[in-house]
Amino acid sequence: MGLIRGIAEAVMEKAKHEVKDYLIKFMEEEKEKEKEKGTEKKPEEIKKEDVVPVVKKESVKIEEIKEEENDDEDILPLIEPEFIKFTYKVKPKDFTIPGELAETIKMLPVEEFACFVKLMIFVFEQKKNFGYLGNTLRRKIGLESFENEKFDKTVENLEKYGVLKIEQVSDNQKTFILYVPFDEENMAKAEYQKPEKSQQKKPEKKPFRKGDDDEKPAERKEKPVEKQDDQQDEIPGKAVFGMENDDLYKSYRTFVSLEIDKAKMRVGRSNFDKIYMEAVKYIDKKYGFKVLSDSEKFKEYLTNYYISAFDIPTFDSWKKTKV
Amino acid sequence: MLDSRILLKSLNDLEVRIMLCKSAFEWELLAKKYVDVESNIKNFFKKKKIPENFTTALDSLRASLVQKKGELPPIDLSDFFK
Repeated sequence: MGLIRGIAEAVMEKAKHEVKDYLIKFMEEEKEKEKEKGTEKKPEEIKKEDVVPVVKKESVKIEEIKEEENDDEDILPLIEPEFIKFTYKVKPKDFTIPGELAETIKMLPVEEFACFVKLMIFVFEQKKNFGYLGNTLRRKIGLESFENEKFDKTVENLEKYGVLKIEQVSDNQKTFILYVPFDEENMAKAEYQKPEKSQQKKPEKKPFRKGDDDEKPAERKEKPVEKQDDQQDEIPGKAVFGMENDDLYKSYRTFVSLEIDKAKMRVGRSNFDKIYMEAVKYIDKKYGFKVLSDSEKFKEYLTNYYISAFDIPTFDSWKKTKV
Repeated sequence: MLDSRILLKSLNDLEVRIMLCKSAFEWELLAKKYVDVESNIKNFFKKKKIPENFTTALDSLRASLVQKKGELPPIDLSDFFK
């Protein structure tokens, strides 16, 4: 009996150890599994943290770009007026913005507002509400701080807002018309004119030649019409509305430009300067001091003077050689 | 209250500035200034005859401006024909 009990106790003792070992192994395996699970979870969490903001940032950027695009596209006209090209019958003493227009333009963004007012002041100086949209316009109106692209964009926006209209008058030339309420009392519509009409009126002037010192050009050129405003239509170098589309007239302008350049080379710098001096004096005497300080008008009259001074054919005579 | 002496002084100042003028841009500013001063003088002597010293000064100033414009380099017409 004692032997059997001893064997049973030994078996029990061994079983206890085996159970202990098994439990320890089981526990260790469980711990290792937990550890492995823990290490696998962390990278996932990190990945999630990293990826989400990037996606968010990108989506924010895309939204911003879309918003910008929408801003450009979503410009709705403040008004839809009829654009009338006009000139002031008599230039008002002071520059004023009509109340109706002020109400409209006060809603423009600051850059568009500034551009519009500057353009308005610029054309007001020339007694009109339109002008050429050329390369130098930005400088002329004092918006040098704007890049070319920005300026173009601002003008485009003004067109979208409905306060300005851009007209493509030829391949290279554009004009802009500002919306200014038309007042019949003080303004006259700028009518289109045919080239022939203006050429018929053109004064026949004797050219000023070197050596004719006894007779001043101002004395010889008595034929121009007295009134300054009427005179504008008769200037060969002037871009009269309606003429821009006339290819022949454009060719003539190019021809005049080249002829002036040739004459400049022919007479030499110092003589050309003297002729210029005479031109300035003549224009002042004939058309008044205001023309001298009006850049555009001065260029028109100066061209006219050069045409006479350098024996450049008039449009009519030039046209005959072409036909 | 505008004094005629102030107007006369502004004419004199303008004359000095015309002598120092070296660019077409500067000339245009002076020309505008001259037109302003001229209209101020006319307004000032609205009911009276403009004194001779003023008319002489205005004429002289205008002649100086015209002379100066002629002396400055001839303006570029290339833009005008574009």
